[in-house]
Amino acid sequence: MRKNTLIFSTGVFLLALYGAVPLAIATSERFDLYYTLTAVALLSIASAGVWLTFYIGRINIGQGAYSLVGGYVSALLVTQAGMSFWWTLPIAGVFCAVLSVVIGLPILRLRGVYFAMVTLVLTEVARLCALALPITNGAKGITSIPLPEALQIFGVTVIPDFAQLANPKLAFYFMAVTMMVVAYAVLWRIVHSRLGHLCRSLQQNEELASSIGVNTAWLRVLAYSISSFFGGIAGAGFIAISQSIYPSSFQSTDSVNFMLNCFLGGLGYVMGPMLGTLLLYFGWDLLFATGRFQLLIYSTLMILLMLWLPNGVLSLMDRKGDRK
Amino acid sequence: MEQVIANGLYLGAQYALIALGLTLIFSLMNVLNFAHGQMYVLGGFVTYTVVAQFELPFVVGLAASAVVLAVTGALVERFLFRPVIKNSHREESSMLLAAGIAFFLDAVILLVFGEKQRGVPKIIDGLFNWDFLIVMPYDRIVIGFLAIALIAIFILFMQHSKTGRAMRALAQDKIAARLMGVDVDRYSMIGFALGAMLAGVVGGLLVTITGINLGMGGPTSIKAFMMIMIGGAGVISGAIIGGFILGMMESVGLTVLAASGDITYLVIFATLMVFLAIRPQGLMGKPWG
Amino acid sequence: MSILLEVKGVSKRFGGLTAVNNVSFHVSEGEILSVIGPNGAGKSTLFKLIASFLPTSQGEVFLRGERISNLAPHTVARKGLVRTFQEATIFRSMTVRQNIIVAHHLRSRASLLGFFLGTRLAASDETAFAESSDNIIEFLGLAAIRDELASTLPQGHLRALGMAIGLATHPTVLLLDEPFAGMNHDETMHMVTLVRRLRDERGVTVLLVEHDMPAVMKISDRIVVLNFGEKIAEGTPTQIQSNPKVIEAYLGAEDAAIGL
Repeated sequence: MRKNTLIFSTGVFLLALYGAVPLAIATSERFDLYYTLTAVALLSIASAGVWLTFYIGRINIGQGAYSLVGGYVSALLVTQAGMSFWWTLPIAGVFCAVLSVVIGLPILRLRGVYFAMVTLVLTEVARLCALALPITNGAKGITSIPLPEALQIFGVTVIPDFAQLANPKLAFYFMAVTMMVVAYAVLWRIVHSRLGHLCRSLQQNEELASSIGVNTAWLRVLAYSISSFFGGIAGAGFIAISQSIYPSSFQSTDSVNFMLNCFLGGLGYVMGPMLGTLLLYFGWDLLFATGRFQLLIYSTLMILLMLWLPNGVLSLMDRKGDRK
Repeated sequence: MEQVIANGLYLGAQYALIALGLTLIFSLMNVLNFAHGQMYVLGGFVTYTVVAQFELPFVVGLAASAVVLAVTGALVERFLFRPVIKNSHREESSMLLAAGIAFFLDAVILLVFGEKQRGVPKIIDGLFNWDFLIVMPYDRIVIGFLAIALIAIFILFMQHSKTGRAMRALAQDKIAARLMGVDVDRYSMIGFALGAMLAGVVGGLLVTITGINLGMGGPTSIKAFMMIMIGGAGVISGAIIGGFILGMMESVGLTVLAASGDITYLVIFATLMVFLAIRPQGLMGKPWG
Repeated sequence: MSILLEVKGVSKRFGGLTAVNNVSFHVSEGEILSVIGPNGAGKSTLFKLIASFLPTSQGEVFLRGERISNLAPHTVARKGLVRTFQEATIFRSMTVRQNIIVAHHLRSRASLLGFFLGTRLAASDETAFAESSDNIIEFLGLAAIRDELASTLPQGHLRALGMAIGLATHPTVLLLDEPFAGMNHDETMHMVTLVRRLRDERGVTVLLVEHDMPAVMKISDRIVVLNFGEKIAEGTPTQIQSNPKVIEAYLGAEDAAIGL
C-alpha cells in the first residue's frame, strides 16, 4: 500500500471507530451493540496473537489458555492485591509471555498438525489448572470484581473511574477499541520490520533461515511470547467487563474460534484476524434471529466462503506482489 | 481388575475403529477431520431411525449408517475439500473448512433428528457372568466382537485389496504414487468415504449401548485426536494402539479415579503434552521431519 | 596459505548404514576445493555434516581451529561458514532483492528491538543492506530480475539467487551444493567465472560438491574424491584425472548403472 493511501485509510478507520460507530449506536439506540463490538475488539486481539503464530509457520489452537491465564492474573491482582486494573493489563500480558516461553521452548520444535494438537490440549490444561489450584478458587471462580478505577498519571486523570461513569458500556468500548488499535499497530510494525521479515523467512523455509544465521528456535519463542501476550491482555480485558472469571470462561472452542477468525480474514493479511473476528462473531450474533436455523446458515455460509475464497476474505484484495 | 481390562478392551475396540477412520483420512489428505465426531453421531442417529422408527433389524441399521456416511464422506471430499485444497495457498486452510463442515453436520443433525438423547433396545439380552470376576452384558460382548471383526476386515482390506494398496501407496508418498499411475483424486475420495463410514458404523454400534445425542460430536472428535496423538497419526497400528490405550485409560478412570477427577485429568493431559514434546510422532508414528 | 577448514575423521551412521566413513581433508584459505564421487558416495551427507545440519557420529570439523561440528546451524553460519542448498531454496513470496536483503541478517548491528522502534542504527543498517544487496545483484548479474518474485524464477536464476543469499552473509567459507547441476555449456562457463570471481574479488573460500566433471576440473584448485562414504583420492585436477582408483570408482558405477 502506498504511504498516503495507508495514512488516509487509517485516518478514516479511526474516525469510524471513535466517532461514527458511537454516533450510529446512540442514534439507533441499539446499545447492546456496544457489548458486541467490545467483544469483537478484544477477541480480535487474541486472534491477532494466533495470526502471529501462523506467521512463523505454526498452527496455534491454544490461545484460549493464555486468555484464561491473563484473565485470572488480572482478577487476582485486582481482588487480592488491590491493584488498579490498568496496571494489571500489562502485567497479565507479561505473565502470559513468560509462561509461553516455558511452554513454547519444548513444543515449538513440533510442526504442522503435531504442534496444533499439542496446543489443543493446552487450553484444557489451563482450564483444569484453574479448577484445581487453590489460588483460583476452583469452579466458583472469582466474582464481584470491581470496575476499573481511575488512572492517574502525575496527578492528571487520564482515565476516569468506571464505577462513576453514566455510560460504562461506552467507556469499555473505547477501552477495547484502543487496545485493539494499539495491538494491531504493533502487529503491523512487526510485520513490516526486520523482525517480520525474519519471521516470514522462518515460515517459508526454516532450513534456509538457519543457514543465514537466524536462531530459529529463539525467534519462534519470541514470536510465540508476543502472541501469548496478546492473548493475555485480551483475557484481562474481558474480565473487566464481565467482572468475573471462571475456569470455563475460555475453552477449547474459543481457541478454535481464534484460529478460525484468522483463516476467514486471510492468513496473508495483518488485518485478516480483525475482519475475521468481526465477520464470525457479528455474523453469528446477527443470525440469532433465524432461531433453529442459526447454526445451519452460519456453517453453510462459512463453507461457501471457504469454497469461494479459500485464502480468506481479504484475498479479494490480492494483486500479484501485494501479499505480505 | 479383570473387569477393568474387559471393559477397557471393549471400549478400546470401538475407539480404535474411530481412530482408524480419522487416521486414514489424515494419511491420505493431511487433513484433520474436525467433523469426525459429528460423523459418528450421524451414524448413530441413522441406525436409531432405521431400527426404532422403521422397525428394521439392527444389521440393516448398521448397513444404512455405513452407506449414508460413505456417501456423505465422498461428497464432502469431492465437492468441498478437493477444490479448497487445490486453491488455497496454505495447507492449513482445510482446517477452517473441516470446522465448518463439523458445524454444518451439527446443524443438520439438530434439525433432522432433534436434540433428544436417543437409544436403541439391546440386541441381545442377558448377562455374562464369570464368577463375578467379569460381569458384562451379552450385547456389549457382541458389539465388542463386531468391532474387532471390523478392524480385522479393515486391515485385511488395506493390505490385500487393490484399493487398499493404492491408498497405502498414496499415504506413503503422494508423488511417487501418482507417477505410478494411482488416481490420487479417486482414492482420496474413496479413502475419505471409508474413514467417514468407519465413524458412522461405530456410532451405529454404540447407539445400542450408550445411546446417542447431538452433544457427543465435539468431545468424540477430541477423543479421536488424542488417540492418534498417542498412537501416532497416519499409521494404522498407531490408531489401533491409541484407541485401545484410551479405552483402557477410560476404563481405569471410571473405576479407580472417580474421586479425584480433575487433578487426574490434569496429570493425564500434562503427561500427554510432555510425551508429545519428546516424541511428537506418538508411539508408532513416522518421524515427522 | 593457512588452513581455514579442517575435516577430521568425520563419520556418519544412519542406523545400520554408514554414509560417511572416516573422511579427513582440509581446505586452505582462498582455495576452491571440490568434493566429487559417484552417486550415493556420501557427498551430500558430508556437506551437511560440515555445515552442521547433521550431527557427526564421529570426528570433528574445525574452522580456523575452532570446532564447528555439532553446533547449531545458525551458530556455524555466524562463524562464517555458510551453505547453499541443492534445491536452490529461497524465500518464495519475496522478490529477489528482498530475499538478498533479508539474508543480510548476520550483518545487522542494531537489535531486533532497534529495528522495531526504527532507531538510527537500524536505519543505517537498512541502508547498508540495501547497498550491499545492489552490489551483490550487480556481481551476480541479477539486475534484470531484481524485482521478480522468487517463486517465479527459472532454475538458473534460482541457483544464482541461492548463491546471492549465501553471499549476503559475507561468508569466509561458502559451501556450494551442486552449483552446476542441470546447466548447459554456456551457463556452466558463466558459473565457473562467477565462482572464480567469488574467490578472486571477494576473498571467499569455496567448497563445492558436484557431479559435472568438466566444470570441476576447470574450476578446482584441489579435488577430494569419495566412494561409498570413504575418501579414495585427493589432489589437483590433473592428479585426479589420472588416478586409477578414481577411474575405477566411476567406471564401476557406470557398469552398475548399465547393468553389467
